[in-house]
Amino acid sequence: MNRINKLKWAWAWLVFLVILDIIIPWFVLARVERISGAFLFWTIWAAVAIVSAFVIFLRWKEVNQ
Amino acid sequence: MSATLWVWAGIGAYIILGLAIAMMARRQLGMGLSEFFLANRQVGGFVSALTYSATTYSAFMMIGLAGLTYYSGVGALGFELTYLCGMFMMVFFLPRFWLVGKKYGYISPTELLSDRYQSKAVGATATILALIFLVPYAAVQLMGIGFLMNGISQGAIPVLAGIIIATLCAVAWSSIAGLRSVAWTDAFQALIMILVSAAVLGVVVSALGGFASFFGRLESEVPELLRVPTATGDWNINMFIGLSLPWFFFLISNPQVSQRLFIPKSVPAMKRMVGGFFIFGFAYTLISVLWGFSARLLVPELENPDLATPSLLALPIIPMALAIVVMIGITAAAIATIDSILLTLSSMWARDIHKGLINPRLSEMGELKVGQWVIPIMAILAFIFAWWAAGKSGLAFMIAPLSSAASAGLLMVVPTIFGAFFWKRATAAGAIVSCITGAAVVLLLQVTGWKPLGWWPGTWGIIICLPLFIMVSLLTKPPRKKAEEFMGYLQKKLKEGHFI
Repeated sequence: MNRINKLKWAWAWLVFLVILDIIIPWFVLARVERISGAFLFWTIWAAVAIVSAFVIFLRWKEVNQ
Repeated sequence: MSATLWVWAGIGAYIILGLAIAMMARRQLGMGLSEFFLANRQVGGFVSALTYSATTYSAFMMIGLAGLTYYSGVGALGFELTYLCGMFMMVFFLPRFWLVGKKYGYISPTELLSDRYQSKAVGATATILALIFLVPYAAVQLMGIGFLMNGISQGAIPVLAGIIIATLCAVAWSSIAGLRSVAWTDAFQALIMILVSAAVLGVVVSALGGFASFFGRLESEVPELLRVPTATGDWNINMFIGLSLPWFFFLISNPQVSQRLFIPKSVPAMKRMVGGFFIFGFAYTLISVLWGFSARLLVPELENPDLATPSLLALPIIPMALAIVVMIGITAAAIATIDSILLTLSSMWARDIHKGLINPRLSEMGELKVGQWVIPIMAILAFIFAWWAAGKSGLAFMIAPLSSAASAGLLMVVPTIFGAFFWKRATAAGAIVSCITGAAVVLLLQVTGWKPLGWWPGTWGIIICLPLFIMVSLLTKPPRKKAEEFMGYLQKKLKEGHFI
């Protein structure tokens, strides 16, 4: 995959995460008054976002200035 | 020794230690603007990560976020983790800022905008917005310190005394040292913050019978705090979006943070900066939110939710020495954030307003002197705002919503920043019109407290600002030559470094 396609996929992934951020806790889990509800969702959701950022930036290489 | 004396002793120790670090850093200080404001772009990955973390996370987290959790529950976690998810955009913006910063020698993020749009007015507009909206943000740091000292001393130290101490320290630290000492101090303080706050959480959770018992009590005693929207209706989706939207773009909208993207000395340092910040941020967010929840169980019925953390630290289950170290850690982090804001604003004023518009022939040393004059002026303004807001009550005057309100104004610069990196057709006119109009809308709604359709000022601001930026850009002439050169350079280097 070339750089531009990777860029598009990364933006799409971020948009997908934001959509989940709204839909799951505010609609799917809206009546769940347990730790296993919105609290657990947001914790896992953020961990997934962070891991995906690691996957991208760990490939960075030094550049000549 | 009484609690008040312990607090004063802690403050005294902090001031001495801070001065010592600032003076040590000053010994390594070279000449020039880049040296003073960016540590000559030679900061290592570990220090970059910690200074970025300490600048971002300050009194807001342990005081503001804990207070918001106490008041409104799990939505506060979602709001703060949404911000952290926004940091995913580091993978796009960190290499871009860093590469063009080195290539063109930018001192401030607004200078980048002036050059890219070939218009000094763009940088000046963004600078004026930062001056307007970062004052409340610096003020909430001062408020946090005031509340903290007041709570831990059980009212013996007035909130105002804490605010005065913090203001004086911030002015002293930033005037003595520049970014190099701020970064060193931040690194040291960030380590204290994360370690000691985790230790306090351990003590509190163990007093509640362990995590299983803690979570069980939350589910049985305050179940309404574990879902959104809350049963009281305070924490609804409009508030969530209103708070989260400005913070989602915090990385690029807040110049004291985006200026940090210029400082890593190499690509490996950048990688350590991103990775370190994510780990720190994730852990610190969870700790702060769990503090808020535990305070709700242990000290219910607080009139001011921003006193949740100070009240928690004043409990007999927390050893006084530990509480004092936490207080110092939070105080230091808050002051470090104010330092960074003052430093960034002073660099922006000197470069983008004074040299850019008033006196283009000003020498580099002259710029530095002008910048240093701005530091105490901005500190006094922040002090006045903090003094005024600390006497108010209600959701709008809590630390977290006030912080987000500041970022709502800065959000109006985001389309301009996106345009600079991703849209060759973007123009200076589009940038200026969208920034000014969006910021005016945000200010108007914030001052009047009006929320049409229940939507918050930042939401309305961006709804108006973004289409304006696009439409005005399409109707005006872009700086094609600069855009081609700027983006062409980035394309080449991004490919070379395996960036996306």
